[in-house]
Amino acid sequence: MDVSQYLEIFIDETNGHLQNLSDCIMTLEKEPENMDTINEIFRAAHSLKGMAGTMGFKRMQRLTHDMENVFQEVRSGNMNVTSGLVDVLFQCLDAIDAYLENVKESSDEGTDDNEAIVQELNDILAAGIGVEKKEPEKKEVPTEQPGDEKYPKKYLDMEFSEKEKEELREAESKGMSIYGVTVFIQKECLLKAARAFLVFKAVEDYGNIIAYNPSSQDIEDEKFGNDFSFYLVSEEDLARILEVSKAVSEIGEVVGEKIKYSELTAAAEKKEAAEAAKAAEVAKQEEEEKQVPAAKQVPATKKATTGKPVTNRTVRVDIEKLDALMNQVSELIIAKNSLVAIGSSSDGGACGANSQAFHEQIEYLERITTGLHESVMKVRMVPIESVVQKFPRMIRDLSKKLDKKMELYMTGEDTELDRTVVDQIGDPLQHLLRNSADHGLESTEVRRKRGKPESGSIHLNAFQEGNNVIIEVSDDGNGIDTENVKNKAIERGLLTPEQAEALSQKEIIDFLFMPSFSMAKKISDISGRGVGLDVVKSNIEALGGDVEVKSVLGEGSKFTVRLPLTLAIIQALMVEVRGEKYAISLGAIETIEEILPEEIKFVQAKEVIHIRGIVIPLIRLDQLLDCEPEEKERESLTVIIVRKGDKVAGLIVDELNGQQEIVIKSLGKYINNSSKIISGATVLGDGEVALILDVNTLF
Amino acid sequence: MANNIALAENSKKQFIVVKIGSEQYGIDISYVDNIVRMQKITRVPKAQSYFKGIINLRGEIVPVMSIRTKMNLEPDEFTDVTRIIILKLEEHGVLGIVVDEVKEVVTLAPDEIDKVAYDAKNVKSNFINGVGKHGEELISLFDTNSIIDEPEMV
Repeated sequence: MDVSQYLEIFIDETNGHLQNLSDCIMTLEKEPENMDTINEIFRAAHSLKGMAGTMGFKRMQRLTHDMENVFQEVRSGNMNVTSGLVDVLFQCLDAIDAYLENVKESSDEGTDDNEAIVQELNDILAAGIGVEKKEPEKKEVPTEQPGDEKYPKKYLDMEFSEKEKEELREAESKGMSIYGVTVFIQKECLLKAARAFLVFKAVEDYGNIIAYNPSSQDIEDEKFGNDFSFYLVSEEDLARILEVSKAVSEIGEVVGEKIKYSELTAAAEKKEAAEAAKAAEVAKQEEEEKQVPAAKQVPATKKATTGKPVTNRTVRVDIEKLDALMNQVSELIIAKNSLVAIGSSSDGGACGANSQAFHEQIEYLERITTGLHESVMKVRMVPIESVVQKFPRMIRDLSKKLDKKMELYMTGEDTELDRTVVDQIGDPLQHLLRNSADHGLESTEVRRKRGKPESGSIHLNAFQEGNNVIIEVSDDGNGIDTENVKNKAIERGLLTPEQAEALSQKEIIDFLFMPSFSMAKKISDISGRGVGLDVVKSNIEALGGDVEVKSVLGEGSKFTVRLPLTLAIIQALMVEVRGEKYAISLGAIETIEEILPEEIKFVQAKEVIHIRGIVIPLIRLDQLLDCEPEEKERESLTVIIVRKGDKVAGLIVDELNGQQEIVIKSLGKYINNSSKIISGATVLGDGEVALILDVNTLF
Repeated sequence: MANNIALAENSKKQFIVVKIGSEQYGIDISYVDNIVRMQKITRVPKAQSYFKGIINLRGEIVPVMSIRTKMNLEPDEFTDVTRIIILKLEEHGVLGIVVDEVKEVVTLAPDEIDKVAYDAKNVKSNFINGVGKHGEELISLFDTNSIIDEPEMV
């Protein structure tokens, strides 16, 4: 048994507690008197402390311990919540978060003691209650550790196997002492098995553990209540053993004594002899135990719950296992596709009835695989909540730092996305929010002058739209000053003034997403957006999504992030260009048109068509993909109208090959794909490889 | 004594001998995952010129490179004996290279391998890190990692 196996649980739960704390402290700031929140914070801090202690993260434990102390006082009404306290608490959370980051990376909490924060906490504590800081710790002790009589010497009830007896006897004959020890774990403890392990590890430095109750396997599996007993043979003093056991955190009490082997066996014999009497006694004892009110928290009353804790109805699964499952589903779909291919090619009237049955079965198989795929996808979906829940806190901090009043309104936190997307969407969103807070919203004075509410508002809305998830970040701030952007672009030599005149608002805003553009804005300190937006764009595009901006000067701006719902399997239209097969995601396709070459018109030397009142630019895929040109123009052209946001384009292809469910596979690292036109490849039913066109890159 | 022999055996390396043009080349067998027959290669637009494209190797997408193009030799001519050698390189994943013919597997002891000096002028030599002597024949040994490196743009 090793602590490291608990690391993941630790990280997960610490994250949860941190988030909980953050939320609660936010609430507390608004309602300093809210007793429920205070209690909640106390509990969370306490759990954090316990977990950090179990895992041996001393610095983290110390910090949380001091937080807990402060809340102990707040809870008992000796202290009031001040804004200063809230600030320090947030610093604490950041520090704990930093520890956690270290733990994630190196399984170690790092070496930052965060003395300043600890000092500040203690100062607040001292100022708040006007006593020395040791006080609360002492106060806490009596509530946590009731008298000794509540810790029965359970080790006396243990029975031994012949082998164990033999070992005990032998040890004693060698002059070692036998100690019976019962350890009581605090009832709030979350990782009991880990603690038991730490106790064993500590005492085994001094001797050998001969017998366990419950068995060591049960202890390891956490199948025990709040106490466990063991017999140790050692040459060390009992006091030392008890001391090291107690040093393990969240251990409530350790009782133990030196026992002679003869006493042990005598006790056992006596037990056997007086079995009937004993049974009655035990029953009575248990009854007594049951009568003790739960509030007293006597560990013994937990007896009823011994055994594995009731499992939640969720299962924690490693994402890699899900990936493997997903891969297998993908394989299955490819296999199904090849069956479909065989079915449609070999229907040359071989045997009518069989072929009919075959097709029915194929259809059945198709339904199953589609269903399976959907289920697996659903398993991989998680709400974006885990990402966005840290934002209110961030906006609060920004509000203080920038000295602007602002509120964040979020909707659709329960919108679900593929786990891999959710993991990576945090940074870009954070960037957009910062952008809105920093550059978008005006200062309070300006807002007042403009007749806007003093407090700026930032909205984060998430919702599903077809095969995409849309996340909008909007603010009611200044909006983007396109004139400024234009001038900047001209200044930087990216545009001539004449070109600039011809640009639409949208095209100008797109400059903000250019890599070096933002830097220049930052240095020249012109107010406006543009810091790191290129990073946002590239991050989101790496996920197969895109970003759009709409802005009205003086009224605010809105960033729309569009993300694909799934990453691995999509419905696609198969097309052919000069015999090469390409797949285009159905989600992007608007309509398919047959046109005559004469219908193609030219605007600014570019080919366009005019369909139902819309002028659509044409892209000849054969030229785009460097295919051999055709000798003569066809009589009619097949045009696929694709859409990205409110932009449309028509792709000219040679042939359509129908719709198919395809599995996206990466092209690998070797092939230089900087143009990004090809977003991946897929294996078709007949084993052939088709490339997937990313139409988003064509606009 | 016995130990010495074992040691000598250990330091011997096995190479797959392939023909590219008129020359014989050796590929360290520990990098070779598979040898497959020529099959349809799907062209990838806008990729480097020496990439022939991608193939489907039992459901996996594997990029295939023309070692001839990379060494500035004549373009490949596909025949019945043309093979794709699938290399498995740590970190980089799987990659196929097209060879004209696979001849045999040879075992070379260290004293049968001559190191060659790096010659910046000769593109071909950049991929070779030794010459093996197998009987009468000479085999140029590929430096597997440099095959996948991007050629330096001058």
